Amino acid sequence: MKSLFGIIATFDTPNAVKDAARHLRQSGFRAFEAYTPYPVEGLGEIIHPGPKRLLPLLMFATAVVGAAWGYWIQYWDEAVNYPLNVGGRPFNSWPAFVVGTFEFMLLVTVVVGFVGMLAASRLPQLYHPIFEADAMQRASRDRFVICVESTDPRFDADTVRREFTLLGAERIEEVRA
Amino acid sequence: MSITLPGELPADAPVIAPHVTLSSVSEEISSRVLIDRAPLWWWVGFGVSSALFVVLVVQMAWLFINGIGVWGVNIPVAWGFAIAEYVWWIALASGGTIVSALFFLTRSPWRSATNRIAESMLLSAAPCAGLMPIMHLGRQGLFYWLFPYSNVMGVWPQMRSPLYWDFICLICYIIMSVFYYYAGILPDLATVRDLAQTKVKRIFYGILALGWRGSAAEWQNQRIVYAIMSAIMAPMVISVHSVVGLDFAAGLTPGWHDTQFSPYFFFGAIISGTAVIIMLTILVRWGYSLQDVLTEYHFNAMAKLMLVGSLMLTYAYVWESFGPMYGSNVAEKTETYQRIFGFTAAPFWAEKTLTVIIPQLLWFPFVRRNQLLLFLISAGIIVGMWQERYVFTISSLAHNYMPSSWGVFYPTFWDWAALAGTIGLFLTMFFLFLRFAPIVSIAEVREIIEQEKSK
Repeated sequence: MKSLFGIIATFDTPNAVKDAARHLRQSGFRAFEAYTPYPVEGLGEIIHPGPKRLLPLLMFATAVVGAAWGYWIQYWDEAVNYPLNVGGRPFNSWPAFVVGTFEFMLLVTVVVGFVGMLAASRLPQLYHPIFEADAMQRASRDRFVICVESTDPRFDADTVRREFTLLGAERIEEVRA
Repeated sequence: MSITLPGELPADAPVIAPHVTLSSVSEEISSRVLIDRAPLWWWVGFGVSSALFVVLVVQMAWLFINGIGVWGVNIPVAWGFAIAEYVWWIALASGGTIVSALFFLTRSPWRSATNRIAESMLLSAAPCAGLMPIMHLGRQGLFYWLFPYSNVMGVWPQMRSPLYWDFICLICYIIMSVFYYYAGILPDLATVRDLAQTKVKRIFYGILALGWRGSAAEWQNQRIVYAIMSAIMAPMVISVHSVVGLDFAAGLTPGWHDTQFSPYFFFGAIISGTAVIIMLTILVRWGYSLQDVLTEYHFNAMAKLMLVGSLMLTYAYVWESFGPMYGSNVAEKTETYQRIFGFTAAPFWAEKTLTVIIPQLLWFPFVRRNQLLLFLISAGIIVGMWQERYVFTISSLAHNYMPSSWGVFYPTFWDWAALAGTIGLFLTMFFLFLRFAPIVSIAEVREIIEQEKSK
């Protein structure tokens, strides 16, 4: 017998899943996650409350480092390693380096932002126990599902089932993986 | 007070047909990717595109063997079709980013169903743009010398040149566009994965989707990063096309040496990019029968954007002729006169008609709702913009300061082959996008459906 990963419930409206998430959190559950076909406004804040400044801060820090890096490449090339006298202009001709600095800064920011987005979501992760649930087939289409995981200290299969029934879930199933 | 003209789309017109549901849109769009046999029109389109792509391969082979003498470029007109078409292609690509990134930031509802078409278009057009200057190099095999890498020769590229900035911009732009596209398509690939019936497709899209589950945490991260990426891509694309303008503005040639070139090019990008997106949207809508998802609302909005682009471009045109006439530089005046009435008169007037006069029809609401007219106007704009790029590249070099060194440019067969070939490359890539990736952003259309419901 595979071990129990959690109990998953399907809802048919975004508001229902938001109410369910709010209720679960108020009842003291912590290890639960919602899976939705599009970002439901406010749902993320209910399930993962607290400030979310890490990714923007990471991208900002990358932009600063990227700008310095981009300028440095040009400065080192044009003023240190291979100085070329073009009409007596200064070797460190910073106005001419602005474009390269700008583009390089944006490039590293976007690349690091993308990698950071995947890392923060623990992707790529081709297999996840949640994929065993039949309900997940519709979570990427038209249903809003919520799964209480068995790692939650308050987890009890019967209680969770009862909660979901009271919240008006369409269907409830066990996820075993 | 608002005035409603007869035939105008009402302000509360639905963005998406009311009977489209969350599941129907997912299944509709995924099924276009998942069918076993592509429809006949796809094969016809792909066949023609691939044939044109072969033209590009042959053209490049001939060019690499014989050198750029096979083209019509010579002194004084050393920049011919290749550079004009480079600007043309990069303008089309930039237009795609503008529609996708700028209108994400403004939360425009019409952007949601068209942004993937715009991004697929830009990813197909950018390589065509990148190929042009490489083909135009005398020794194409050494193009990698443009990269600032430490080499045994101990030399570095000259980074103070706008031509070099242009290379940096283009390479950064293409890489960033790929990441931007991928960040947006990830949830849709997961939908396709979940709907796939065969094992091969499930594995293929499963790997591409990177295990996306659609959890609240993933959506949170994706939305934050995507919004910041959009805020980066919008100024980025303006900078890219402005630097293309600097390639010309920094040249001490009458007609080019003008501070307005950066915005002027950018205006051209808006109008030509929107035009090509409209044409491709009509193709996708008709070919994939997506009349419910790509509605009149989208065409109306994009037609208005195209009209705005046309007006901005008109402003730049007026300045382009007014500046030299108002100034006292004889060479500038002569060049402008030659451009308007000389060797390039025919394309000059054709281009003004196609990009300024005919787009004024878009003021009429019924034109914005008539797809045949929209298609024709858009096609005219794209042709017109090509002529525009051609005229200013050729005529400035043809009428430089010294009348004794004036000359003309006649394109050769291989010039036309390069044009046809890159169109082939563009269409081939677009048809592949059409076949293998969801062409409408399913996740974003779902949000629009929910918004429409609560309206």
